[in-house]
Amino acid sequence: MMSTLLYDNLNIYLFLGIFLLSCGILGILYRRTLIAMLISIELIMNGAGLNLVAFNRFVSPQGPDGMVFTLFIMGLAAAEAAIALAVIILIFRRYKTIESSEMEEMKD
Amino acid sequence: MAGALTTVLSGSLIYAMLGLVTTMFGIAGLYVYLNAPFLAMMQILIYVGAITILIAFAIMLAGPFYKRPKEWNTVGKLVASLVVALFSFFMFSSFIMKVSWGEGKGGLSLATKDIGRALFDRYALPFELISLVIVVSIIGAIMLAIFSKGEK
Repeated sequence: MMSTLLYDNLNIYLFLGIFLLSCGILGILYRRTLIAMLISIELIMNGAGLNLVAFNRFVSPQGPDGMVFTLFIMGLAAAEAAIALAVIILIFRRYKTIESSEMEEMKD
Repeated sequence: MAGALTTVLSGSLIYAMLGLVTTMFGIAGLYVYLNAPFLAMMQILIYVGAITILIAFAIMLAGPFYKRPKEWNTVGKLVASLVVALFSFFMFSSFIMKVSWGEGKGGLSLATKDIGRALFDRYALPFELISLVIVVSIIGAIMLAIFSKGEK
């Protein structure tokens, strides 16, 4: 467990990934606006990508598999952000608010 | 870590976005430590360059976000979400401490060429699928912008 350098240890990166996941969950539950929830989802995805790259570095250092999947995660995050922001702007245009608690009806 | 906390806990949306930028730069630095400089570059390009600008445009288009009601954030909600987040944190960290991953030898030194070769050799089908997903999402966003009913 005790390594020579702090950044040369797998558990540090895993704890950082868990920290990002917890921050994302906290943000999703705590913040009221939809854009803040989207930012929290980005945090969770970055925690997952950090875990993938750390495992690729320390556990299986013979191929770039984790890096490739982290690239896929980045692409998915970009697509999801585009769709979610379009929907958020539509919701704002219709309801004049971006708070998630104000929306009670799905269609009218 | 400070950037992530700022992202979650700050009151304004602009501060949350700047916290996201700080977090992304931190993660890019960690990618450099993990011998993945290509991923660090892509992280800065995609997140700081694209997604943050997109979020900034959405914040500016979504108008007067600074007009908050009085019951914006209650203490009980903060306590409840803190409990959930800390519970998940300690559950997963106990899981990590229990399992010992077989840490192999270090020395992963991959060039960008290897990533590109793996991307088109072994992972050709997921690559095409991800590009299809991105195209569909872009077209969907444009369709949502065009065919909406507008202000009611």
